[in-house]
Amino acid sequence: MRRIRRVHVLAAGALLLSCTPSRKDLGNTYRGVLITNIKNFDPALVQDQYSSMCQFQIYETLMEYKYLARPYDVQPCLAAAAPEVSDSGKVYLIRMKKGVEFADDACFPGGKGREVKASDFIYSIKRLCDVRTKTTGWWILDGKVVGLDAFRKASESLPPLPEQIHPALYDGEVAGLRALDDSTVRIELTKPYPYFKYILAMPYCAVVPREAVEHYGEDFLNHPVGTGPYLLKEWRRGLRLVFERNPKYHHGFYPSEGTAEDSAEGLLADSGKALPFIDRIEYGIYEEYQPMWLNFLRGNLDRSPIPKDNYGQAVTPDKSVRGDMAAKGIRLFRQKDLDLVYTCFNFEDPFLGKHKRLRQAMSLAFDADHAIDLFYNGRGVRAQSPIPPGLFGYDSTYRNPFARFDVEAAKALMAREGFPGGKGLPEFEYLTIASSDSRQMAEHFAQCMARIGVRIKVATCTWPEYLSRLKQRKIQIIGAAWGADYPDPENFLQLLYGPNESPGENNANYKNAEYDSLYLEMAVMQDSPERKAKIRRMQEIVAEDCPWIFDLHRLRELLIYKWVSDHRSHAVLDAPVKYYRIDAAMRRSLLEGPGG
Amino acid sequence: MIHFILRRLLYTIPILLGISLIVFLLFHVAGGNPVYRMLGKNAGPEEILRLTHQLGLDRPLWVQYLHYLGDLLRLDFGRSWETKQRISEMLADGLGPSLCLALPAFVLTSLLAVAVAMVSALSKGKAPDRLLVVGSVLGMSISILALIIGAQYLLAYRFDLFPISGFELGWRGLPYLALPVLIWIANQVGGDVRYYRSVLLEEIGRDYVVTARAKGLSRGQAMRSHVLRNAMIPIVTRLVMEIPLLFTGSLLLENFFGIPGLGNMSINALNASDFPVIEAVTLFGSVLYILANLIGDVLYAVFDPRVKLS
Amino acid sequence: MTGAVRSRPWRKLLRDKLAFAALAVILLYAVVGLLALFHLAAPHYRDSVGPPYSPPGTAYLLGTDVLGRSVLERVVQGTRIALAVGFVSTGIAIPIGVLFGLMAGYFRKRVDDFVVWFYTTVDSIPYILLVLALALILGKGLVSVCIAIGITSWVGACRVVRGEVIKQKELDYVQAARAIGARSPRILFLHILPNVMHLVLIQASLIFVEAVKSEVILSYLGVGVQGEPSWGVMIDDARIELIGRGAWWQFAAATGAMFALLLAFNVFNDALRDALDPKSAD
Repeated sequence: MRRIRRVHVLAAGALLLSCTPSRKDLGNTYRGVLITNIKNFDPALVQDQYSSMCQFQIYETLMEYKYLARPYDVQPCLAAAAPEVSDSGKVYLIRMKKGVEFADDACFPGGKGREVKASDFIYSIKRLCDVRTKTTGWWILDGKVVGLDAFRKASESLPPLPEQIHPALYDGEVAGLRALDDSTVRIELTKPYPYFKYILAMPYCAVVPREAVEHYGEDFLNHPVGTGPYLLKEWRRGLRLVFERNPKYHHGFYPSEGTAEDSAEGLLADSGKALPFIDRIEYGIYEEYQPMWLNFLRGNLDRSPIPKDNYGQAVTPDKSVRGDMAAKGIRLFRQKDLDLVYTCFNFEDPFLGKHKRLRQAMSLAFDADHAIDLFYNGRGVRAQSPIPPGLFGYDSTYRNPFARFDVEAAKALMAREGFPGGKGLPEFEYLTIASSDSRQMAEHFAQCMARIGVRIKVATCTWPEYLSRLKQRKIQIIGAAWGADYPDPENFLQLLYGPNESPGENNANYKNAEYDSLYLEMAVMQDSPERKAKIRRMQEIVAEDCPWIFDLHRLRELLIYKWVSDHRSHAVLDAPVKYYRIDAAMRRSLLEGPGG
Repeated sequence: MIHFILRRLLYTIPILLGISLIVFLLFHVAGGNPVYRMLGKNAGPEEILRLTHQLGLDRPLWVQYLHYLGDLLRLDFGRSWETKQRISEMLADGLGPSLCLALPAFVLTSLLAVAVAMVSALSKGKAPDRLLVVGSVLGMSISILALIIGAQYLLAYRFDLFPISGFELGWRGLPYLALPVLIWIANQVGGDVRYYRSVLLEEIGRDYVVTARAKGLSRGQAMRSHVLRNAMIPIVTRLVMEIPLLFTGSLLLENFFGIPGLGNMSINALNASDFPVIEAVTLFGSVLYILANLIGDVLYAVFDPRVKLS
Repeated sequence: MTGAVRSRPWRKLLRDKLAFAALAVILLYAVVGLLALFHLAAPHYRDSVGPPYSPPGTAYLLGTDVLGRSVLERVVQGTRIALAVGFVSTGIAIPIGVLFGLMAGYFRKRVDDFVVWFYTTVDSIPYILLVLALALILGKGLVSVCIAIGITSWVGACRVVRGEVIKQKELDYVQAARAIGARSPRILFLHILPNVMHLVLIQASLIFVEAVKSEVILSYLGVGVQGEPSWGVMIDDARIELIGRGAWWQFAAATGAMFALLLAFNVFNDALRDALDPKSAD
């Protein structure tokens, strides 16, 4: 019987210990959230928002986004000054900062990081273009830089990595990508792409040291070695990710330009000071929203998004933060995302591709506003065209005749097309990701379509499966979203450019000759009324052809405790912690005070 | 004895081969060509052929199988498609957290189940027994999913008795583990109690116990001095057979409570169609089961003189 | 002779009130499932019948979900799916298990070695991982879930049948049948099979319970039934709204429906065992 007694003791012990763990001294630490496991730290492979957010702490690019400036613009980061662009708009001369060193790492001789040179940038870009890197980012340079496509072609015939790095290819010259000396890069474009400066700021173009790539080989993606403000300290997948200040980082400063509004918000108090302000970043990895939300409410996280089912707990109907939250020191930030949520038809489907009025009818039958209420708590605006507000070419007065909810008009169109009440149509498959939210949205879509007699079967799958089915065109209707890679409308309009059809990003496999020629013209134009007119015409074409249902542009809201200052939401940079400041004393007193 | 163990070891070889064959057929033949996945979206047909050849996927199946066996013998499970980590390292990383949850849960469940079964067996047919039998049937009828969601909502969220989720290695992790351990017990104990109860009852019905009782031993005394000792063999057998559950039984629990163990790893792999990881966890679990079986048989032979070693 | 031996346990079973109640519950579920299958019950489970997240009340008996669909109708449709998975999986697993068990127990030697090796191998692979892997590879949907569960859960039946056949084989009636020159298949299926049927029945009800439980987990993990309100899908939906909004009704309805069915099966299974296989029970 002794055993039985021990059971009681253990069970009681477990219960006693079950109180919330005590808060250790936090110091100058920022505690953030990752809502999914990040993939890796290889700039050539970064694909998702969270991985790029983590890479931002470690790797740097020649140009970077300005933190405060709106509309979005870029400034030099590893570059010493803005690029000198030739009159033709094709040749970029970029001088790099001197004295910037890579972080100390075992891959360097003696473990000491060396100075970053122009050749490091050249190497990083070549690596990005090497077929064997299996990058997901080739498209940003595809056809844009003189000689780079030939380099990529040449890399195809090489033995696979990492057996042989093949110095001959890497040491060879690419005409459009050269180091003039240790600190000067010369890039020659095939066409004067106006948005190329933004491409230089994309995480794909981060500067990586060749030593690290060769030393770590296949494991390079787990061993980041960069020039950025932080170093990777700990990484336990599924649990947490910890960064610490890089002691060798001296070249970043808090922005000193800003509007009067910025100044009033206190965003200019740290102007010109050396970055970063925070010593340590701890990201908790939460694959479920609820634990994240509760930890945020208990003050265990400094910043959090608002899960849709908790919206009422945080935000009042007039869209301000609720009183009890405000009393805890929680502030609400709202941010227009540069994105588009849309429903995509596959033009290769015999019904969906051939019958324009069917697509138009389905667009009219979709109750987007109801979906925005149900799934986004009203945080979004009905989209009228591919271009989100905040980008050049967005026109808030533009109305797409089919981006409205009108079941009767939809029924009439169905009848005119010869499918009265859906007669003669097969059941269509709507493909989405296997998560509760995505599935519910798909079921809502199916409900809307049922009203005009279009039968929809919802199918779900994993993300890799979803991608591979897109690439192989084995889809009928999908739910999709696109976030801006750079703040230029071209990034959205290319999604419908004919030659970009699958396996490219034009998943509708939509082709329209007029649209395609307009796209080629606008892609290389500087912003001007002329460019705007072309964009307007493109919007009208896709409205009429209706390859997509334009669902909404999302509005992002997040909550931050007031001990985090210098915080401003940014649609391209997600949580650039290097600009944040933490008032550790305020945090301590607020958390230990009566409210905590 | 050594002969017995050796023979038993030899017997596991065809089983191991069988498992590797099934897993090979499942993941490498039925699972499709991984090259499409590895090369990503812009791969041309030439590239696909080249990599297919480099990976040896164009060789006859039996040659591929032999190579596969060779990799397994070297404990080389390859790399994850999703995170590109070495899977052997991922398994090693996940084992600790899994054990942190599973070991205490397993020990507590077993002790509780044996104790309850004893109470139940001693009062066979009376009120406590009936109550316990009903209780265990009720417990067996609840889905683990409902149990987890319900308990997490009520105990952690509404009444704030436990942290919602989280994990720390070492003692600091104890508060996080309390609720998942309790749920594990609630889910598992019903079936265990019923099994142990019938084992004990069978033993109580045997002649020697009847004799001992006739000689004047009380039921409790008989239970302690005879029944439990003899019932230890089937009990230990079942315990050993449950050991593999330690690694995979907690699939959902680890996921819900954010414990970065093998179960969580499997679910992440599932959501990413990361076949090599699922494959490795499957193999790992199978081998553990076989080992546990082996140990069980050996223990059985050591402790029960009635088992013939032939 | 066999009839006489087996009639008493059946009568005992029928006298067991609890077992009777359990059977009644199972039949009720079956009727509901059939009605749902033929669109006689809950035909509007896809449509919005009211505002989202309406709590249970007179208007909506079990409340509504995120899209305003009736939770009651969804639970009824979920019953259809649970029963389909249970019956089809059991229907796949039992013939495999019984056939292998009969052959192994009767022919022994090589056949037995092979069968024992095969089921030990399958049994060694963690059940849930094997089902997951199969469901992943077979593709999603009701059919592959049933196949995945079916071809992984025959081991128990096979083991039990094999053991019993080994015993039965030595009994007089088998020896007698052999003596008069009956062929093996005839002996196996006409003489031995009826005498192990009670064990098969018990195993079948165990497999059924496991199948229903597994379907819920598979659906929750997103590899289960597609586009239909299975209980697993409902619990997955309910999980978020439960904590976020305190909308408990969908969770309670799906869980309750499943609990009652599983409980009925467990009770019935116990009674079956008590009556038909007294040795293995208490």
